[in-house]
Amino acid sequence: MEKYGIGQPVRRKEDARFITGAGTYIDDVAAENMAHAFVLRSPFAHAKILNIDTSEAENMPGVLGIITGQDWAAEGFATMPTKAAISKKIDGSPLNQPPRHCFAIDRARYIGEPVAVVIAETREQAQDAAELVEVDYEDLPAVIDARKALAEDTPRIWDNIEGNVCLDFELGDKDATEKAFANADHVVSLELVNNRVTAAPIEPRGAVAEYDATTDSYKLQNATQNVHANRTTFADVLKIDAESLHHLAPDVGGGFGAKNSSYPEPPILLYAAKKFGRPMKWVNDRNEGFQSDTHGRAQFSKVELALDKDGKFLGLRTRTVGDLGAYCWTNGPFTPTGGSARTQGGPYNIPAMYYSAVAAFTNTMPTDPYRGAGRPEASYQIERIVQHAADTLGFDPVELRRKNLMPTASLPRKTPMGLDVDSGDFPEVFDRTMKMTDREGYAERVANSKKNGMRRGFSIAPYLECSGGMPKEFAGISFTKDGTVTLRVGSHSTGMGHETSKPQILAHTLGVDFDRIDFIQADTKATPIGGGHGGSRSLEVGGAAVLKAANEMLDKAKVLAAHLLNSNADDMDFADGVFTDIKTEQTIAIDDVIAASFEQGRLPEGMEPGCLDTESIFEREIISCPNGAHAAEVEVDPETGAVRVEHYWVIDDFGPIVNPMLADGQVMGGVAQGLGQALMEEIVYDDDGQLVTGSFMDYALPRADSIPKMELGYYEDAPTAKNPLGVKGAGEAGCCASPPAIVNAVLDALKEDGVAHIDMPLTPEKVWRAISEAKK
Amino acid sequence: MYDFTYHRPETLADAEKMFADADDGQYIAGGQTMVPVMKQRLAMPSDIIDLERISDLKGISRDGNVLSIGAMTTHAEVAGSGDVAKAIPALARLADDIGDPAVRNRGTLGGSIANNDPAADYPAALVGLGATIHTTSREIPADDFFTGLFETALEEGEVIVKVSIPVPDKAGYVKFPQPASRFALVGVFVAQIGDSVRVAATGAGPCVFRVEAMEKALEKDFSASALKGISVPGEGLNNDIHASADYRASLISTLARRAVAAAE
Ligand SMILES: Cc1cc2nc3c(=O)[nH]c(=O)nc-3n(C[C@H](O)[C@H](O)[C@H](O)COP(=O)(O)OP(=O)(O)OC[C@H]3O[C@@H](n4cnc5c(N)ncnc54)[C@H](O)[C@@H]3O)c2cc1C
Repeated sequence: MEKYGIGQPVRRKEDARFITGAGTYIDDVAAENMAHAFVLRSPFAHAKILNIDTSEAENMPGVLGIITGQDWAAEGFATMPTKAAISKKIDGSPLNQPPRHCFAIDRARYIGEPVAVVIAETREQAQDAAELVEVDYEDLPAVIDARKALAEDTPRIWDNIEGNVCLDFELGDKDATEKAFANADHVVSLELVNNRVTAAPIEPRGAVAEYDATTDSYKLQNATQNVHANRTTFADVLKIDAESLHHLAPDVGGGFGAKNSSYPEPPILLYAAKKFGRPMKWVNDRNEGFQSDTHGRAQFSKVELALDKDGKFLGLRTRTVGDLGAYCWTNGPFTPTGGSARTQGGPYNIPAMYYSAVAAFTNTMPTDPYRGAGRPEASYQIERIVQHAADTLGFDPVELRRKNLMPTASLPRKTPMGLDVDSGDFPEVFDRTMKMTDREGYAERVANSKKNGMRRGFSIAPYLECSGGMPKEFAGISFTKDGTVTLRVGSHSTGMGHETSKPQILAHTLGVDFDRIDFIQADTKATPIGGGHGGSRSLEVGGAAVLKAANEMLDKAKVLAAHLLNSNADDMDFADGVFTDIKTEQTIAIDDVIAASFEQGRLPEGMEPGCLDTESIFEREIISCPNGAHAAEVEVDPETGAVRVEHYWVIDDFGPIVNPMLADGQVMGGVAQGLGQALMEEIVYDDDGQLVTGSFMDYALPRADSIPKMELGYYEDAPTAKNPLGVKGAGEAGCCASPPAIVNAVLDALKEDGVAHIDMPLTPEKVWRAISEAKK
Repeated sequence: MYDFTYHRPETLADAEKMFADADDGQYIAGGQTMVPVMKQRLAMPSDIIDLERISDLKGISRDGNVLSIGAMTTHAEVAGSGDVAKAIPALARLADDIGDPAVRNRGTLGGSIANNDPAADYPAALVGLGATIHTTSREIPADDFFTGLFETALEEGEVIVKVSIPVPDKAGYVKFPQPASRFALVGVFVAQIGDSVRVAATGAGPCVFRVEAMEKALEKDFSASALKGISVPGEGLNNDIHASADYRASLISTLARRAVAAAE
């Protein structure tokens, strides 16, 4: 049992399937007599749709029919809701939410917006026919830059929305912050861009929809990370009973938030399955993914920090323009507002803070939560301004950070942003990371770089973020006579290893055989509720639900064990899968108790066969605060501007680690994604709204050779009391810490060149240009 | 992908005939350019004529101071060839740095130069080494072969058979990869053969080109320091989201110095 216990680096059960090509991803799913849908997407960022002529396309071989926006509108379906936690403007009025239909009906507002859907016997036939759908567009001026969108003379994207504003937002104490700035010895400020990026999951989006006329019910298999919430949304859009829609996900190849969003294609597919009486399949190709997967980040901020003469932080003020794209997507308005506000200031002791934002519409693919959803933005803002303060005011950047960390004795506390920080030891974590970084050898490494005409730089980036996502989660455990245990959960793994970590918790708690635990997720029939995947919630909330169900099952098993041993439930002790009567020292193994639970004759009164099956819901009250300190050492080639991250060090505080191998995977993946944002990733639209980075030929994702060796460690001595496992969400921390660690290390390297700031991504050309311009 | 008719000739004569008979024929070699282009529906050939089975197009050989490489030789074969490594190590390394293993195992020298992508690596090597391209009807010096953006001197239906390359005294290639595609954002090939020096830049302009000012300086003194102060004007160079023209110009100078330093 120990081998599979909590804290063990248990190998991922799912990998045998994934690595040998035996996984079932959406493109592997087929239904009998299935037809195929191809989505014709707008090639314009902003255009009126004057007319759609489908006559020629309809006569193409294999075509079953074509659905246009007008057809959709005629059905009277509902619009896609926004379920953002922030839904009001500062003045209390509701945010401006334009109607989001599944099709562009009379106007297309971003490249990739569905204009028509062709249904045919094969995907190729559908695509052939789509080329003959004649759409009469009238091109309109496109608004691409969110900052310009707000200017008075900018054309409106939505006729009834003035200034292209969705909402404004504020958090913190404005007056106190102003006072802090007025009384400060030093004020530093920076304008920062959090570049627009795409999640680029390895598996594009897709779905297979079926309709059963005899029961008037639907089945949707979908590459999503959230079956329950999306079922409600799709049912609401189609005006059908949610119970009649069975929504499930096969193996999902990554999501990073982008597969949480509610997309238009699945409801269209469900509708088509019913209309044509055939199962329907649609799978995006990679280029469609670039256009139509929700994007992330896309924020422009001004950050100001007030300090006293000794470098003590007095106040922080951030003003952000968030780019929502053409619509409020599922959670879009939350990211640049509440999502970015909560963790302002990171792990520092800053007595006064104020955050304000305005979210703007543009003619681009809408943004929605992407790994971190606001916290990486906040982490980048505070760490950049702190580095900038150190550089311009002459403080040592490491010491400036160290002395402003929240003192351990000051916890628990609430930050001025209302974040409940209950546990942690930020100075200790900081010191441990610094210790890993081999400061002694640094001067020599700098000298070696110099000798080769290179520059070397270093930065540490402490961070404090928070978890999120749906606070409630379900876990169900059921048993069979032959000893199989089935675990059903409402959380959802899209590659993170829950098939291993969740059974690990169960095996550890019950002492049952890890290999005999079957795992079911992402199925609305298997669990009554489910929060899917998002906000680093899966272990914290989903794992806690498994633990809760296991403990409740044990309570029942104890009664049965006592009955079987002819003893008293109160005298039963349980450890390592064995019940012991503390008085008589008689024992019975849990497997025997489970076996007995299926024999009516051996059960006490009130217990029925199958009585050990248990279903539980855990609800988290307060989000946790993962934190840590990352450090990067980089080498910069000043002649070409190329950056290499040479070393990367991490200490993270995620509470107790359930499976260090899985945690390492989360950290490394998050750091890699953050490195991508820092150095190379950027979605670029040109001024006309054409997507320039429409493929991997132009959108740069980090590859294995871009990623440095990472040294990882965990600080496990400060579990949180906010959940019974004591854990703090681990999934997004890596991409909170790595962009500032890497960018600040690069700027540290370029200090001697007089470079003060470069906006992400720090591409070779930008670095080269910054050096050339600083020379002038 | 649109429908097409697939042919697999065994001889060059058959290949040329199939091409002549087709409405809109296209040769296919490794398919590393053709297949993605067809999958994206950017090309609609009526007939695809696969050169894979034609033995005349294969093989690497050395005859005195001339290295010959068949058009259907894959990047991996060039990278792994002892003859190439011995004669022109810079060429072996260039081939080894093209794309990824799948691309190198399929993609061919002939396909690469026939396609003449402005960011491809081989054009720099062939121009830099003063190679000759042998086709089914003639011999074309590399200087005359690469004529413009995705354009070559090849006539309709003409097939590249092999290239012959004079073995240089010294050659070096340095590529600065475009961050996303990893093609050459700029790549500079430098070679010294007797008294003459060639410097060819790829990725920088619409088509590979020679940098004469650098060649002259290096002919006097084949050293990185000889290039000091020689810059290439940014005018006419490529300008895109990955690099503006003046940055590319600066890269040419930097990479040329490094290529000279690395030449062996
Ligand atoms: C992911 C990826 C990364 C890549 N990275 C690089 C890189 O870093 N550097 C680089 O230089 N290239 C790169 N390439 C391109 C690669 O080198 C291709 O192999 C090359 O462009 C085409 O060679 P091919 O044999 O595949 O030709 P094909 O795709 O089969 O054909 C290309 C063209 O050449 C014609 N053709 C082929 N053979 C002949 C012949 N013998 N005579 C006349 N015409 C012919 C065809 O008709 C076609 O028009 C990359 C490609 C991919 C997919």
